[in-house]
Amino acid sequence: MNQTIRPNQATLDNFAEDLNNIRAKTMKEVGQTDANHIRKMIRVQRMSEIAGRITMVLGFINPGLWVLGVLLLALAKILDNMEIGHNVKHGQYDWMNDPNINSRNFEWDHAGDSASWKRYHNHEHHTYTNIIGKDRDFGYGLLRLSDDTRWKPKNRWQLPIFVVFSMMFQWGVAYHELAGERIFFGKRRKKSSLPITRTQLRNAFFSKGARQLFKDYVFFPLICWPVFLPVLLGNFCANMLRDLWTSSVIFCGHFTENIHVFKMSECENESQGQWYYRQILGSSNLTGSRWMHILSGHLSCQVEHHLFPDIPAWRYVAISKQVQAVCKKYDIPYNTGSFAKQYFSVVKRVVTFSFPPAKTAAQAS
Amino acid sequence: MTSDNILRNGQSWLARQITNHVSFGAYFEPLIQLLLPQWRSDRLRSKIVSIRQESHDMYSLVIKPHRGWQTFIAGQHLELTVEKDGAWMSRFFTISSSPAHFKKSGLIELSIQIQEKGKITPWLVEALRPGSIVNLSQSQGDFCLTQHDSTTLMIAGGSGITPFRAMLQQLSLTTSNTANSPKTLMYYARSSEHFLFKQELLKYTEQLPSLQVHLIDSAEHGFLSEQHLERYAKEFKTSHIYLCGPANMILHGRKLLTSLNFNWQQLHYEFFGPEPIELEQTSGANSILFNRSNKQISTQQSAPKTLLELAELASTNPVSGCRAGICHQCICQKKSGVVYNTKTQQYSDTGAQEIQLCISVAASDLVLEL
Repeated sequence: MNQTIRPNQATLDNFAEDLNNIRAKTMKEVGQTDANHIRKMIRVQRMSEIAGRITMVLGFINPGLWVLGVLLLALAKILDNMEIGHNVKHGQYDWMNDPNINSRNFEWDHAGDSASWKRYHNHEHHTYTNIIGKDRDFGYGLLRLSDDTRWKPKNRWQLPIFVVFSMMFQWGVAYHELAGERIFFGKRRKKSSLPITRTQLRNAFFSKGARQLFKDYVFFPLICWPVFLPVLLGNFCANMLRDLWTSSVIFCGHFTENIHVFKMSECENESQGQWYYRQILGSSNLTGSRWMHILSGHLSCQVEHHLFPDIPAWRYVAISKQVQAVCKKYDIPYNTGSFAKQYFSVVKRVVTFSFPPAKTAAQAS
Repeated sequence: MTSDNILRNGQSWLARQITNHVSFGAYFEPLIQLLLPQWRSDRLRSKIVSIRQESHDMYSLVIKPHRGWQTFIAGQHLELTVEKDGAWMSRFFTISSSPAHFKKSGLIELSIQIQEKGKITPWLVEALRPGSIVNLSQSQGDFCLTQHDSTTLMIAGGSGITPFRAMLQQLSLTTSNTANSPKTLMYYARSSEHFLFKQELLKYTEQLPSLQVHLIDSAEHGFLSEQHLERYAKEFKTSHIYLCGPANMILHGRKLLTSLNFNWQQLHYEFFGPEPIELEQTSGANSILFNRSNKQISTQQSAPKTLLELAELASTNPVSGCRAGICHQCICQKKSGVVYNTKTQQYSDTGAQEIQLCISVAASDLVLEL
């Protein structure tokens, strides 16, 4: 599965130069259109959130309105997390100098504290993409997705774990991003590389989590008192829909069948070309319509996002044609496919690696 | 705590809980902008009334501030914010008109010098029309006439005349006994065409018997010197001196007054543009001031270092991550100065903005919020 031979250094240098040119050309165009795009997305998000919360209450007139309300609220949460939050946290719109559309200040409608998320996601996941043992996002410490991780008997259950994890993805991410298992149960490291203390991390986790629970399960149900339960249930469903969608998109970006994984030793002192190469091999795209791209926060263009994490994401669709041409030129694989195809291959990967590797199995029997 | 305060704190607490934004205004801002373009929850949306050319490289914006804009004291400045290519750009400008004029007409004026290589000042005059929208902050600054009963000497260099114009206009429009204490203005400019508000200043000398105005052509008579002080303001040692102009003029003025044993308590000055950090700058190196930790470090031209490395050297404990411009964790607010971004290979703007420390190097003296 990981048998592609890495092109030589000269090829990779040329490859990097081509990609840098794409980047430079695109960055020159960034301006008013990008500001208009993100502001429009925020407007749609606000309007669907407000409309969703109101129509959900009107469910007592007609249950169909409750369903509509849930869908609108889920849409608002998806837009907030994906097209707006994720991209803003990457600093794609920092140049706008807008205090509310800024990677330092933005806080999303999500259980995870956005500063903690940004710390680990932008650094660990984007720098050490798909390096086993370094990129904790690879399997989220729950799923065994490659033979580089040792098989344990609990891995037999990873398909049902995968389904449950998808449904409560926001809490999984919130816990995972602060390395919960280490912060809550693990040993204290002598020398921590973290810029903030464990207590600060823990406080951020609890205060953001509490805020999200208060908002969706106390405040809004209470101010709609006579319909307390339908609103509470509606908010729960909207959160779950968002979790299912975002987790599916993200799994399709890194856990598809032909994705490559790397060892730390392969990546030490890597050149820019090698880094670009690893980003492309470690990511996979989804094809689809404009709305498919927007709802996925343009993570449907995961490859382009990993190459250029701070270019405004709506430009990835146009860039992807150029990137594909460059990949073709240097004979570098480019992984893309429909949502159904990619999702199926993720499930296949989860199932495949829930069994011990063939060799070990033979030894055991 | 007043009940007003409690209400405000309660509102902002609730906004954070249910909208994840600092205020309800911030949450609704994009929707409100549909009706009121450029509306900002944290700024005052104001209208340009007219634009007046003062000289070939200076113009005045006449602005009707938003109702929420409180008044000001002559000599104060404000932050003007406009949208340029999708980005909010902010600059500080002195209000060149007086509070009395504002009270009467509801208008203020900002007199702006066109910076040759500037991104904003040459653009503003092209982009703005009567009726255009700009955002204002409240007025701020303490470069104001506080010692009303003592002798006052005002020294202006070039466009540094703007606060003095506001002060003198205020005196001419208000009749109070403070106008009686002797006041002298020494106004330096590059050539006789560069004196702004010339007619107006001369008119004030007629209205205010205690006021003397000296227009000094620096090309002909040279810069501020002991001889000039002796000639135009004999009593300068007992006066309160107000200095406003370009940085090198302030530095020169301060040095001169120190050498004359002038009492610093009586000296007031305002830099025009970013404040240079090292006063005795000789080499081509730049100084970086870390605002919050109050630490300073100099760059070495021979071995250029990123701002992140310098911040670490100065032990300001910056947050960092990938050190390659990917993760945006080391983002920091630059208050003033120019940086060069090694990734985009571009120079920044001079004003306040966010920069990535790990891929930025100093291209001028800098003030960083760290």
